[in-house]
Amino acid sequence: MKLLQRIALYAGLTIAAVTFIYPFLWMASSTLKPPAEVGSLALIPHDITLDNYRTMWARAPFGRALLNSTFVATTITLAVLVFGSMTAYAMARLNFRGRPVLNAAMIAVLLVPGQLTLIPLYTLIVQLGWIDSYAALIVPYLFNATAILMLRQFFLQIPQSLIDSARMDGMSELRILFTIFWPLSKPVLSIVAIFTFMGAWNEVLWPLLVVREQSLMTLPQLLTVFALGGGAGSVGVSLASAMVLVVPVVVAYAFLQRNFIESMAGSGIKG
Amino acid sequence: MPSVTFEHVTKHFGNATVIGDFDLQVADGELLVLVGGSGSGKSTILRMLAGLETVTSGTIRIDDRDVTDLPPRDRDVAMVFQDYGLYPHMTVRENLSLGLRLRKIPRQEIDRRVAWAAELLGLEPLLDRKPKQLSGGQRQRVAMGRAMVREPLVFLFDEPLSNLDAALRAQMRIEIGSLQRRLKTTTVYVTHDQVEAMTLGDRIVVLADGRIQQIGRPIELYSAPVNRFVAGFIGTPAMNFLQGTLERESGRMYFTGEGARLRVREGMTEPTTRGPITLGIRPEDLRVDSTGQQSTQGPADGDTLTGRVVLVERLGGTSHVHFEVGPHRLLASITSDSLPEVGDNITARVPAARAHLFGEDGRAISAKL
Repeated sequence: MKLLQRIALYAGLTIAAVTFIYPFLWMASSTLKPPAEVGSLALIPHDITLDNYRTMWARAPFGRALLNSTFVATTITLAVLVFGSMTAYAMARLNFRGRPVLNAAMIAVLLVPGQLTLIPLYTLIVQLGWIDSYAALIVPYLFNATAILMLRQFFLQIPQSLIDSARMDGMSELRILFTIFWPLSKPVLSIVAIFTFMGAWNEVLWPLLVVREQSLMTLPQLLTVFALGGGAGSVGVSLASAMVLVVPVVVAYAFLQRNFIESMAGSGIKG
Repeated sequence: MPSVTFEHVTKHFGNATVIGDFDLQVADGELLVLVGGSGSGKSTILRMLAGLETVTSGTIRIDDRDVTDLPPRDRDVAMVFQDYGLYPHMTVRENLSLGLRLRKIPRQEIDRRVAWAAELLGLEPLLDRKPKQLSGGQRQRVAMGRAMVREPLVFLFDEPLSNLDAALRAQMRIEIGSLQRRLKTTTVYVTHDQVEAMTLGDRIVVLADGRIQQIGRPIELYSAPVNRFVAGFIGTPAMNFLQGTLERESGRMYFTGEGARLRVREGMTEPTTRGPITLGIRPEDLRVDSTGQQSTQGPADGDTLTGRVVLVERLGGTSHVHFEVGPHRLLASITSDSLPEVGDNITARVPAARAHLFGEDGRAISAKL
């Protein structure tokens, strides 16, 4: 009975897992299929070919777009982590006038949908003369209220005695943040990093608005222009470009995910 | 020359006054204990001395230097925290040396001091471990070592033993005491535990509501509390209190309460206070003369109280006998082997010299009856 239950459970889980992973695997394998084979649902291509990638690479500057995306997403992620944790530290652990108001304002910001600020933000970028620049892609994302709130929530749990000890030891507040809080906050920092990176990496709408020059385009933007604009020509090439988009995110996730698992247990502060 | 001086220090949080006009001098090399219940302001005083809390008004001096507005690192004080405050991601060695490294002290000197503290505290085998690999007592020692290597003018202890179990607490209490006597560093020690205060302190400051109730050597606080708060706070089990009034009868003074009538010691000047009086007697000062013996007297007269036993706690050596006298519930500590049973009537003698009297405002009328 126990065994049967187990078998049923694992069968169910397997079906679910296959349902989720199949489209992705199909996409990955289809990028390696010749055009005649792309329509089939088989996961293993008969004739393996890299033609789709060659065509894609030849028709649009994907290498450059990959670099652009990497640069933009990395810069944004670092900025969100550094500025976000500085803000979160102040909000969580320093006493100053107006802190509750600032906190409320921060939560209010979360309630404003991004689409609402799109037009004012666009106008601002035009006024600043930042159209077709990295600044237009990066600056609006340097601060992130969600990240600040997540970090703040985590920072609130760190014992006051650690801050007190560090102050007695002679550390500045910045030093406390980066040498005491950061090492203890790896789990939340990596979550924030992954979300921020993926968000920045996948952003399409904003780059489409502020960047027209092909050499500045990010990967998803170029992909959209390329695939929807008919530049790809075939399904296989479209899929190949999608593959280029998704692989770095998967790699980044694989690289950071052990931090999710890494337990916060035994932080060694109290008996 | 006093090592630490508080002059008219006050502290407000918003509209609330936490510390009001606090004056104190701590002598060089002294171990001074600040004791009080929660909300008494004892930790706030310590944190103000450490520089972790701002001072609303007044002056704090360390070694005659005004440190009121200095940040913690410039005060030459080191602190041991209740939950130790060890950096979890650093080894014991790094925890000990960090404060010195930040002060740009030469490498060799750091090594010397770390080795010295590690030896003194028995931490040598643990130097490369992380805090989470240590037991509570070991963490406590590391926290003390971190304060010691700084070689500060003043040690500050903020309830350092609260997180330890009873046996370890007793052991660490002894270690802290002997360490302090050895180092002769001025120490301010905060605790809510009056046993710690009594055993460790050269002098004790009893605090309530941000105000000093009494300062004195442990035995002074025990034998001559200046008010009812100190009387009830110092000593375990706590002092018994009876409500009543003072009456003069045929030339003699009596304390009269419900079910109790006790003669006041001869030669005592007549108190100017009229109205309600509280009589205090410590459980260990009550002499339970007879067990299980039916008292033939009515209300107790002279120097005895008669009551009915409601609870007996057998602790082995000393036992606690709870008994009721009128509306009062009293406790007597008895070392005798023959204990009364619940329901028995007992007679407890109150040695006049051991009783304390407090007026309506809680102040001691006179140290003795």
